[in-house]
Amino acid sequence: MTAAVLRVEDLRAYFRTRYFGIKREVRAVDGVTFEIRADEIYGLAGESSSGKTTLVKAIAGLVKPPLQFVDGAARFAFLPGVRALATASPDVVRAVRWSKLAYIMQGSMNVLNPLRRIRRTFDDFARDHLGGSAAAFERIVISHLGKVRLDSSVLDAYPHELSGGMRQRVAIALATICNPQFVIADEPTTALDVIVQREVLGMIRQLQQEIGSSVLLVTHDLGVHAALTDRLGIMYAGRLVEEGPTAQLLLKPRHPYTRHLVASLPRIGTQERRSGLPGSPPNLADPATGCRFHPRCPIAMDVCRTVVPELRRSGDDHRVACHAEGGGP
Amino acid sequence: MSDYLNYAMKRLGQFALVVLIGINLAYVITHATPIDPVEQSISVATSFGDASPEAIAAMRASLQELYGLRGGALTQYVAFWSRIIRGDFGPSLSAFPTPVSTLILRAMPWTIGLLATSTIIAWVLGNLLGGLAGYYRDNRMLKVFGITAMALHPVPYYIVALILLIAFGYIWPILPISGGAAMNVAHGWNWPFMSSVLSHSILPALSLVLIGLGGWFLGMRSLTSNIVTDDYVVYAEIAGVRRPRILFSYVMRNALAPQLTGLAMSLGGIFNGAVITEKVFGYPGMGTLLVDAVYAADYGLVLGVTTVSIIGVSLGVLIIDLLHPFIDPRVQVR
Amino acid sequence: MWSIFKDLLKHNGEFRAGALLIGIVVAMAALSFVSPYAPDVSYVVAPDVPPNASNWLGTTSRGQDVFWQLTFAIRNTLLFGLLVAMLSRLLALLVGLLAGYCGGWVDRVLMSVNDTFNVIPLFPLLILFYFVLRDRMSTPLLAVLMACLGWAYDARLIRSIAMSLKSREFTATGIFSGMTTREILLEQHLPYIMPIVFSTTLNNMNWSIGLQVTLAVLGFMDIETPTIGSMIYWANQHTAIVAGIWWWIAFPVALVVMTFVGLFLLAVSLNEFIDPRSRLAGMEGASQ
Repeated sequence: MTAAVLRVEDLRAYFRTRYFGIKREVRAVDGVTFEIRADEIYGLAGESSSGKTTLVKAIAGLVKPPLQFVDGAARFAFLPGVRALATASPDVVRAVRWSKLAYIMQGSMNVLNPLRRIRRTFDDFARDHLGGSAAAFERIVISHLGKVRLDSSVLDAYPHELSGGMRQRVAIALATICNPQFVIADEPTTALDVIVQREVLGMIRQLQQEIGSSVLLVTHDLGVHAALTDRLGIMYAGRLVEEGPTAQLLLKPRHPYTRHLVASLPRIGTQERRSGLPGSPPNLADPATGCRFHPRCPIAMDVCRTVVPELRRSGDDHRVACHAEGGGP
Repeated sequence: MSDYLNYAMKRLGQFALVVLIGINLAYVITHATPIDPVEQSISVATSFGDASPEAIAAMRASLQELYGLRGGALTQYVAFWSRIIRGDFGPSLSAFPTPVSTLILRAMPWTIGLLATSTIIAWVLGNLLGGLAGYYRDNRMLKVFGITAMALHPVPYYIVALILLIAFGYIWPILPISGGAAMNVAHGWNWPFMSSVLSHSILPALSLVLIGLGGWFLGMRSLTSNIVTDDYVVYAEIAGVRRPRILFSYVMRNALAPQLTGLAMSLGGIFNGAVITEKVFGYPGMGTLLVDAVYAADYGLVLGVTTVSIIGVSLGVLIIDLLHPFIDPRVQVR
Repeated sequence: MWSIFKDLLKHNGEFRAGALLIGIVVAMAALSFVSPYAPDVSYVVAPDVPPNASNWLGTTSRGQDVFWQLTFAIRNTLLFGLLVAMLSRLLALLVGLLAGYCGGWVDRVLMSVNDTFNVIPLFPLLILFYFVLRDRMSTPLLAVLMACLGWAYDARLIRSIAMSLKSREFTATGIFSGMTTREILLEQHLPYIMPIVFSTTLNNMNWSIGLQVTLAVLGFMDIETPTIGSMIYWANQHTAIVAGIWWWIAFPVALVVMTFVGLFLLAVSLNEFIDPRSRLAGMEGASQ
């Protein structure tokens, strides 16, 4: 078992708002525990409002009101003794951001300052970490751009002069230029057409193999997970409901929700009707008691209404949170 | 480069349009009047004594000639434009026979000096403070400043000028409250004159700056507090880009472009404020000239100042518009 | 609608302050209906008397009670502002909606005209109007004039909203289901535009009242009807400051400043409420 680069323990992060006298608490992430190992690509899947983006933000320490880091830990191997970036001091955070921990945001087309040339943006982000003379830095940047198949002419351009796909690639290059040990990629391929998607995914895998970093990939697209990730975690209503090696999980899902997700994927060759889940998406301000999935679960039992199922080992490197799966100790 | 030329041409076209519409509007207003400026001038002139009927007739004829009121409507219109282009607005009645253009040229440097300095100070300072206030939301001092700005900004120029006049003229008379410079100092590039100009301009400039500052501060603050939530700023913060760099190159710089547009749009309003402020403080600029001209029923002077101010403000807007693409490179690609 | 105001009153400090100020101002204006003195008479009380028990705010050099004169002045001033605001709303809505919704050359032409009115300094033009109309410049006429000159800024705001609404899906749905342009503009788009119209009304009132005060102070409009501007004008004519009759100037100025600041605060808090971004920022004041 390779060492863990990230260990998340019972993480809780809620949105708490108070506006015009109305208090509201949305339990976006409600007790998540898992770990990510070195040199692996870990995927996080789930529908919108499953809490995956919030979880990732909490891990990266991007917690701004009304989001609050309520409890738990997210320990990085390269930051011993720090419980979570979200509660650490700004100096600690700044020391690891970008040099050890990188983040590819959702909608990367807009993360580049529209009034700054690409060259200056690289300067802003990476110069401090990489040091060296201006000429040496530029050489590094150009060679790195080459890895995402971008020409050095990109450096003098403004963001609006580049296409969406090019901007995405610039964003990936920007995120990986310091050879970070850990990369978080939040929906890196949404809003891209399929051809560019494939390129981007290939780039991520290539970079990961070259640098040897761990990647936490978040997307609702199971196809992307299937193509790229080594292990996959499924989230529902702020909790992790299943986790395991990707191929195994997709071929033989053990949680009713995962089963439904997999079954709903279109398959070439068949024209069967897909069925939707009954009920409505979970209300995280007023979550269901017991297992959060039980109102829509086809095999729900009485115990599911009252007792929260733990994530238990069920087979090789596979975990499930379901009373029906019983599983081992 | 050709993109810029394209853009510049469009801006120039707009400038020409504004000037044309403005001057024509002024012309139509004055010529659609039921008053006859010639008769007015004659009645003012003859109120000081008798004049023979022949003298009056001669005066009428020459006044008509001077005011361009000979001939039918079309002739007048053409004559008007041909003189405007030569910068000739005819003689001023209240300072007969000094030509209007001389009076305007004499007053212009005062107005331009006052306007330019107070606008620049207010804009730069207001934007700087507003940017800081939008970024550092919890700073006590900036919050207090914000409340002051909110109380000051909606008050019209006249009231602020009046309050300053009362405060520094009567309650605490440490600053001169009238005139452009002391009366007994020779004009020229010498220190006594310069310092006199400076001290006389403090109150009118202060009055303009106080109001302008508040407005720019509030606008910039709300702009930056929105920009701070934009993806690229959040991303730069995630990446640990240095704070000063983010503040200046990511937040304030990006708010400059809309603020520049705002400056162009408010030049008209600032000029309005300058007119009344000048009058309150007896500052010898175009504002005082205009108001006094109305009191004296000086037709030529009123028309002249109005025309020049329209051209001047539009020119200011044009300059700012032409500078715009250099601040925001996205503007060109239109 | 009412519940929004109640909420704002309870939770938004700026709205509270603005409402208080405007409340005082409107109360003053309402009092004008029970004034013991008619607005246009003079020398009904002893002149130049400082504030005392029977003349709460003192008297003027023309023998009028400052307090009751002020009630008429603020009433007329407020009505003037409302008149201008309403007339210019109509123009701004017309131009803004047409330009934003129709687009194309209609938009370009209207916006060129709009920019012209934005740039031209209006004050000299108004002075010019006074110059040629002299005593014929009555208050309603001035209101109409200012409405015809002051719609430009808000028309552009309305246009940009109309433009963004035009590209929203529900507009396309409306078109496909056969609604006429008029129906779409009135029934679908107007509810989005109304809040902006309301907040710009307040700012417009500030602008028009400010301009009117400035014109009146210079004597450039009807100075017989009592307005805040005309009160200050007469005070200046009688050199009130120099003569030490400060109450004649101070109280009108104080009341009109209250009006300006109050309207502004209301407009700002309404804007904050309407703009979703600032609403979100407001939610961040959450504690636990």
